[in-house]
Amino acid sequence: MLTYCKLCVMPDTKPDLLLDEEGVCNACRSYESRKEVDWDVRYAELLQVLEKYRRTDGSNWDCIVPVSGGKDSTYQVVRMLQLGLNPLCVTSTTCDLSPLGHNNIENLKHLGVDYVEISPNPLIRAKLNRIGLKQVGDISWPEHVGIFTIPVRAAVQFNVPLLVWGENSQNEYGGPAAAVGNNVLNRRWLEEFGGMLGMRVTDLIGMEGIEEKHLISYTYPSDEELARVGVTGLFLGHYIPWDGLANGLLAQANGFHTYDKIVEGSMVNYENLDNHQTGIHDYFKYLKFGFGRATDLACMHIRRGRFTRQDGLEAVKRLDGTFPWTYLGKPLEEILRPLDITLDEFIKLCDKFTNKKIFKRDSSGALIKNRDGNLTKINYDNV
Amino acid sequence: MRVGVIDYGVGNLGSVMQALEELRVTPVLLTRAIDVHTVDSFILPGVGNFADCARLLDGGGWMRALRDEVQVAGKPLLGVCLGMQLLASSSTEGAENAANNTPGLGFIPGRVENLRTLGCGLRIPHVGWNEVTSHTKSGGLFAGIPDGTDFYFVHSFAFVPDDPAHVVATTVYDIPVTAAVRHGHIWGTQFHPEKSSRAGFRLLRNFIENPAC
Amino acid sequence: MLKVRVIPTLLWKQFGLVKGIGFDSWRRVGPVLPAVKVYNQREVDELILVDIVAHQSSDELDFESIDEFGQDCFVPLTVGGGIIHIEQVQKLLRAGADKVCVNTAAYSRPELVSEIAKRHGTQCVVASIDVRQNPSGEGWLCFSHAGKQPTGREIIAWAREIEDRGAGEILITSIERDGTFHGYDLALIEAIVYAVKIPVIASGGAGNYQHMVDAVKQAGASAVAAASIFHFTEQTPAGAKSAMQTAGIPVRRNFIDSVKK
Repeated sequence: MLTYCKLCVMPDTKPDLLLDEEGVCNACRSYESRKEVDWDVRYAELLQVLEKYRRTDGSNWDCIVPVSGGKDSTYQVVRMLQLGLNPLCVTSTTCDLSPLGHNNIENLKHLGVDYVEISPNPLIRAKLNRIGLKQVGDISWPEHVGIFTIPVRAAVQFNVPLLVWGENSQNEYGGPAAAVGNNVLNRRWLEEFGGMLGMRVTDLIGMEGIEEKHLISYTYPSDEELARVGVTGLFLGHYIPWDGLANGLLAQANGFHTYDKIVEGSMVNYENLDNHQTGIHDYFKYLKFGFGRATDLACMHIRRGRFTRQDGLEAVKRLDGTFPWTYLGKPLEEILRPLDITLDEFIKLCDKFTNKKIFKRDSSGALIKNRDGNLTKINYDNV
Repeated sequence: MRVGVIDYGVGNLGSVMQALEELRVTPVLLTRAIDVHTVDSFILPGVGNFADCARLLDGGGWMRALRDEVQVAGKPLLGVCLGMQLLASSSTEGAENAANNTPGLGFIPGRVENLRTLGCGLRIPHVGWNEVTSHTKSGGLFAGIPDGTDFYFVHSFAFVPDDPAHVVATTVYDIPVTAAVRHGHIWGTQFHPEKSSRAGFRLLRNFIENPAC
Repeated sequence: MLKVRVIPTLLWKQFGLVKGIGFDSWRRVGPVLPAVKVYNQREVDELILVDIVAHQSSDELDFESIDEFGQDCFVPLTVGGGIIHIEQVQKLLRAGADKVCVNTAAYSRPELVSEIAKRHGTQCVVASIDVRQNPSGEGWLCFSHAGKQPTGREIIAWAREIEDRGAGEILITSIERDGTFHGYDLALIEAIVYAVKIPVIASGGAGNYQHMVDAVKQAGASAVAAASIFHFTEQTPAGAKSAMQTAGIPVRRNFIDSVKK
């Protein structure tokens, strides 16, 4: 049986989630501890750090802001501009850019920033998506790597030491205490929490004809390079209380567009709008761990008092982990085609990576799927 | 070329079958001795102890069936680990004295003895990866596999053929240890090719593609 | 010459892999299958998979999952956790395991080890022993049930007894060091290595390659096992072997097939 947090609806299968003696998860506790934070002090600290890196002569950018064009990065850019900074926005091109995602990136640029997009070889990216899916059940594996390595490489190349990241996902999402207080992203964070699932970039060499020269963008700079430029990063979410929905509202007020209905597999229409492959990523998360995007969102909003736990449970049961026939309206087969994966192969991969212990099965041991191909968990709340 | 994998009730078949499938060969799992005529070559796996395996092999009618198909009709056979040891005349494993030695298939005359008895002073079982050197007589079994390639061993007993010419590859573990044997179209490896990564797969492919080697 | 083995360990708890510190504070790491696949693709020397909660329940072992993992595992695989009966061993071997690990059950019924050794061969049985330093004196004491229950047994005597019973290898884990990255308990490993004539696999505490080199060169281990270091740091089994090679320890190199399929 799956055990769930008593306050939110996250199951304890989530990596690094711990339930305390009262059955409450560390992400909820971490959110509770926010009340004790003196945000004014934190904000003052932020200003101090930014002052240290602000250029007085305008000869180089003050910082690098990794952006995707989504609600969070739009919010970050708005904040940076409000603070009078001159950021260089860096995007690591996503795997399967949607028209909405493209428009939101254009909107971000028109907030008035210098912008660089680094687009690793899409043919290689497609191979990496396929390998990620087949090897570790994560189609977005190369993206997880790229969104960290590419901005850091840019910091070295453009000689801009400060990287302003968004939230420390370990804080909200739960993680070891040592990381939660950490407000700097470094290689150890990447290895431990970047979602690498044990696979390393070096493992890829030799697979499907991939060579070292194809993986330059996915390679973290050396310690020497980082030291030479003095690269450092901070999580904005450590200095300003982070809330995805609030970010979304501010972003919308600044031209960011949402989807016209809730996104497939999710509960909302304001996030994860740029990459058609996200539906597959979220679905596999559900198959491997027993929770998907709807659960993530329900938990975040329950913590902030917008949702009761009961409402959360009900929404999750209905919306979480639905088979990704489409994402932002694009059919699954079209999304899989550039990766050379047929629908049949995809379904076989789904079954392979499904953690059989957490879903209902019939007497012969086969997973029970409904008409739409959806699975049913063995329990949706504590028994 | 149909390859038959003999299932005589001993575990670890899965690895062999899987390895062959990875090589895009569809092996035939032989569960009854009377089916031996349906294939063109054999792989005889083996894990455990000699006495039990020999008993199961005999009890299932395999010893007689294989004598017909392999020794008489000349179909190639590859014995793996205990499967190789079963090719011997007898083994001391589990026996209190020589009189009680368990008989094997006898396809390659010789005895199976404990590594300690043979003079090995190192830790036993011999478990892990060790370098194998093949002699030219091994023919195509080691084609493409240079001397000194590591293979995976896990055993406490070793096969000592009466005729040294039947030893076609050796490894060293304090003493020379028979790594592979050959008598015409009958082959055996002490190491586990199905567990020896790419080198092992290459060896299996060599056997399957050219069992006459 | 026989090479020293570097063996990643996967600790399996219900739905996935976990990492602990001192056999406590278990952190969920992720599902089992991706890890099996990654290590298999890297062609590690061996893999150890231990179900750390199987001993807690009387439910049958999860042969089905092990069979599934076995399908993606072409490297030698040792499976342990909750083995109390020889029939389970047969099933595990058929499901894809090459060796089995026995721990808790051996304390109450050491004959289990002899039974397995007799039927399946000594090379099939790995005796897994978890110890803590003796607080009131010298030496180390053995614990069962994933480190929770003291057995009263002293390690050297137990190691010798289990060797006599037919264990093929000993997997020795320092509970205090496990997951700490502070290095193996070299004194412990050395003591076992001297006490028995079967291979000893060091486990518990590896934090860097030098720790592994020390376990072999100083303490005499035949193999080194590690979990956290490989799952959580940029260090890899291949890197470990490279470091060992530099230190003069014989390790296996991967074979490159000149014939492309």
